[in-house]
Amino acid sequence: MSGVAEEDDLRAAEYVLGTLDESERATVARRAETDDVLNSAIAAWEIRLSPLAVLVSPVTPPPELWRRIEQSLGAPVVAEARRPARRSFWESLGFWRGVSGAGFALAAALAVLVLLRPVPPTGPSANLPSASAVLAASPGGPPAYLAEADTNGRLTLHPLTHVAVASDRDLELWALPVGGTKPQSLGVLRAAGGVATLPQANQAGMQLMVSLEPRGGSPTGAPTGPVLFAGRLARL
Amino acid sequence: MALAYPLTMPALARTPIRGNMPLRRPSYSARRLRESVTLGSLGNDTGNSGESTLRALLERCAQGDRQAFRTLYDMQAPRMHGLAMRITRDTALAADATHDAFIQVWRQSVRFDPERGAAGAWLTSIVRYRALDIARRRIREKPGYEPPEQEDESPDALSQMISSTEGAALHRCLDQLEPDRRKLILRAYADGLSHSELSESMGTPLGTIKSWIRRALIALKECLSP
Repeated sequence: MSGVAEEDDLRAAEYVLGTLDESERATVARRAETDDVLNSAIAAWEIRLSPLAVLVSPVTPPPELWRRIEQSLGAPVVAEARRPARRSFWESLGFWRGVSGAGFALAAALAVLVLLRPVPPTGPSANLPSASAVLAASPGGPPAYLAEADTNGRLTLHPLTHVAVASDRDLELWALPVGGTKPQSLGVLRAAGGVATLPQANQAGMQLMVSLEPRGGSPTGAPTGPVLFAGRLARL
Repeated sequence: MALAYPLTMPALARTPIRGNMPLRRPSYSARRLRESVTLGSLGNDTGNSGESTLRALLERCAQGDRQAFRTLYDMQAPRMHGLAMRITRDTALAADATHDAFIQVWRQSVRFDPERGAAGAWLTSIVRYRALDIARRRIREKPGYEPPEQEDESPDALSQMISSTEGAALHRCLDQLEPDRRKLILRAYADGLSHSELSESMGTPLGTIKSWIRRALIALKECLSP
């Protein structure tokens, strides 16, 4: 074994043993993400040293811990649906085409409704909307929100129906710019809708979605629950 | 050997304890652990016991089966929480570590390869790394924090290791180390002490601690290799 390889192997061993300090741990973990040799060395050391875990006596966790874990994960039905639902929902181009087509039609049809709603109390300087989207549960389904964006990237979300969620859940609004892969949170929704700032000014084609999250919003920075409503911004 | 398993996430260490669970890229794969166990290890619900059950449960978790996750929790939470308690020495921090670890287990169960994985070792690593990250951050945030009192492993605890093939091999190899070095390895693993904490608590210079540990690790690897 060469000197460098041996040094890495020992670093992996120290990492698994747990004797590295905070920055050394972080360095090894970061390197292991791209360095397959180091990664393999860590995995091998884990297997070698894992029998030592029996030295530590089990401790019953506090009874509320399971509840806390469940809360972090969201409702069971959410978890069961999460992977296929997210993939099929976001990644289906056909769906988005459908939604954005429907968005045009519905936005026009709903213009009257929107005019009847009070303008959210966000100051007098609101520009005319330059793009809009209808967020619906499924292509052609009943519209749940109308989103309007102005040229400054200010997004106003108008609820079109009452969406009830359990008291330990919140709805969170997300934006996925064209070509993006990771939705960015625009914030937790209030029942009365609200105003958010879009991550970029070029709005056409940007996808908007509302997901069901634990109270206070996603704990991970990415949607963890099902996407309940989605739509794509179309230029007006 | 095709192993891929980046273990903890530097990003995680910087986020609040209840914060992010970034996805780990990797699939865990490792030498299959022996499935059969002796009554002794079953009774203690050790890491290697019920390996095939753990693999099956993880597989069901990966399919979104919340009931399987609950069963996995019931089976493994005391063991994993014990590891977290020992490393963090703090009820609240240990609960955070165990919470975070189970969230990670649920989210990453899809990346666990049941054909090749050592499920017990996978779970052990997840909770230990989380607890270590939390314990290290506390050191940065509370510089005056005192390392835990020294605690020797009881011969009983050590003898539990021989209930699995891997444990028996490691036990034999540990036996060949000088007592001081063996104690160092056991304390480091169980208590999660850093080089400098070990140096302080054992009254031995830092450089000596580092080189003793490295030499012990080299000896263990050599002794364990077929």
